[in-house]
Amino acid sequence: MIPERTPSELVIRGAHVLDPSSGLDGIMDVRISSGKISEIGEDLRGTREIDADGLHLFPGFVDVHAHWRTPGREDEETIETGSAAAAAGGFTGVVMMPNTDPIVDRPVVVDGLVRRVERESRVRARVSAALHVGLAGERLTEMRLLKEAGAFCVSDDGLGTASAGVLRNGMLYARSAGLPVILHCEDHTLATGVVHDGVAASLAGLPGSPASAEDTATATALILAAETGARVHITHVSTALSAALVGFFKERADVTSDTTPHHLTLTDELVSTLEGLYRVNPPLRPDGDRGGVEAALRDGVLDFVATDHAPHAQEEKELPMEEAAPGFLGHETAFAALYTDLVLGARLPLARLVEAMSCAPGRWVGEGGTLGVGAPADLTLVDLSEAWVVDRGTMVSRSSNSPYAGRTLTGRIMSTIVGGEPVHDRTGAKFGVRA
Amino acid sequence: MEARSFLSLEKTSREELREVLDLAAAFANGSLTDALAHKTICLAFFEASTRTAVSFELAARRSGAHVISLSERGSAISKGESLIDTVVTLDSLGADAIVLRHPAAGAALLASRHTSAPVINAGDGCGQHPTQALLDLYALADALGGFEELAGRRVAIVGDVLHSRVARSVIPAFVSSGLEVALVAPRTLLPPESEAWELPMLSSVDEAVGWGADVLYMLRLQKERMTGARIPSVAEYARYYGVARRHLHDGLLVMHPGPVNRGIEISGDVVLDPSSLIPDQVAAGVCVRSAVLALSTGAIQRAAA
Repeated sequence: MIPERTPSELVIRGAHVLDPSSGLDGIMDVRISSGKISEIGEDLRGTREIDADGLHLFPGFVDVHAHWRTPGREDEETIETGSAAAAAGGFTGVVMMPNTDPIVDRPVVVDGLVRRVERESRVRARVSAALHVGLAGERLTEMRLLKEAGAFCVSDDGLGTASAGVLRNGMLYARSAGLPVILHCEDHTLATGVVHDGVAASLAGLPGSPASAEDTATATALILAAETGARVHITHVSTALSAALVGFFKERADVTSDTTPHHLTLTDELVSTLEGLYRVNPPLRPDGDRGGVEAALRDGVLDFVATDHAPHAQEEKELPMEEAAPGFLGHETAFAALYTDLVLGARLPLARLVEAMSCAPGRWVGEGGTLGVGAPADLTLVDLSEAWVVDRGTMVSRSSNSPYAGRTLTGRIMSTIVGGEPVHDRTGAKFGVRA
Repeated sequence: MEARSFLSLEKTSREELREVLDLAAAFANGSLTDALAHKTICLAFFEASTRTAVSFELAARRSGAHVISLSERGSAISKGESLIDTVVTLDSLGADAIVLRHPAAGAALLASRHTSAPVINAGDGCGQHPTQALLDLYALADALGGFEELAGRRVAIVGDVLHSRVARSVIPAFVSSGLEVALVAPRTLLPPESEAWELPMLSSVDEAVGWGADVLYMLRLQKERMTGARIPSVAEYARYYGVARRHLHDGLLVMHPGPVNRGIEISGDVVLDPSSLIPDQVAAGVCVRSAVLALSTGAIQRAAA
């Protein structure tokens, strides 16, 4: 559903353009022609104009970690609602994780999803296939046939790989198939609890999973990445030690990494609420880890942010912590949560946030994340002054399990444009589009 | 007369290869009958083998040698006698050459240190299988019109290089002969330091044909051992690493050391296609092994050294 209609021209006038990838930082006009950025300068005029005075214009955000629950759990999210939620959060590109029902481990499933994405997604959605059949960490998937069917990468996300030997072969084969591997690093012999194994868990009487569950698996993955030469992306890094390990291997392996908005802004203090809503995997960590991850993102040790957008039905979240499904909505609140806590808190420069949400993940997927002339016109217009309340009743996602529900965040996505066409637009409330 | 073990083709010169092949040609045209008269050749096979064992036995008998054959069944090997003790026993019995097949790499080298008789490596684990590579060269040179015709031709070696003793002999022998060699395999079936061979790495038979391969040398896939762990499925393997009719073009030759998994490395309709050298490879085994036996036992003196 990415609009492919008559190539049209659009000029966005007067926005503060901020794009670290091309060094743009100032008020200027952007001309879009035939779905691409064709000119950036002053006093540009066009047949269609958006007056973006007072707004910021960034390259569209790219989220390499999303669960759109399709096929199988369309009651929680569909390609339509997931992509609408992404667009509402300023995302123009997304990678869909394969832990659906059926699991995306066969070429025919990839082929079907790719066709549906073309029809149903508002944003550029890429399909991650499974690394192992059934995500079981045993038999390799037919990665080359999966790639031919349209898979963009492989991942057993949601699960760690139990055997290092199996993971090593998976990396080797993925390298031959020319597919990047996204790894959820978790040792399930250590991760036997439901929250971080810290003070909050002890006081609450909840079974904890220690940080070592992530750290040992991350170390294993990094060592194997260095040895195999595979292109490996470590997703949702949530501990200070794992971030440091990634830093150690950055020059020694073809490795990138991300962390999530919630691991950057929330801590395991929320465990004391005992509310199932706040269960997530990897679990929210103590503030020391949160700070370590934040520093690693600031310094570029962690390359970018991904949301791990994980919709869940209400009946799976309104449960005791031990019974609740782990996962948070991510798309719609990612930018505002990070802007509010980190940028306004003077802990992260705005330019670095844009780099981490747009440029770096755009480079990783090989498309978007830049406002350079000739690039696809994937961009997002943001009002950095607007404060808004996260309301579970008005989420664009089909689910409502946002950990920020009820909070007031600053920074509102006003318009999201994919290939030159608006896929999310609330500018009408403030100003008109002149035809 | 100098006896000389025949263990590996790793550092064999073009001249040495050529000498063996020339001698094999002489055996093939019948001008060297009885070259091994009064020699005793012992075949010690610690691992099952059909074509190699039969081929060595024929090679020895046709040239007039006595043959003693020990297999893993029905001999002291099955009683757990060690490799070294078996070799020492055969030496004491007066063997002029010991032909050894063993499941562990390095077995032939170890055996050669414990006997004065020459040891001929008939395949040691994932190590070496030198007579296979020689018969491959013989069959290929024959098909192309002579040893000189090998230089500059392109051979793609396709499949499980990691577990292949054939590959470890074929690669150096082909390179020494002037052939240009490329490897075609997923990284799960390549040794970790396969870059050490300094050969081009290709990712499918299609790519090999595009590279200009004159010969597709297909290795056997041990599918029981591989599926799931190192390759995802036979279907995907056959799609990218199998030769099919669509790959065949005029002048392209297909080789395989056998036994073939029909429909996996080679589609069923290609195995016996005129482009297939597989029957020629098997046929070349006898004269090539006669030549190796003759040189090893010193029955015929080597010129090059």
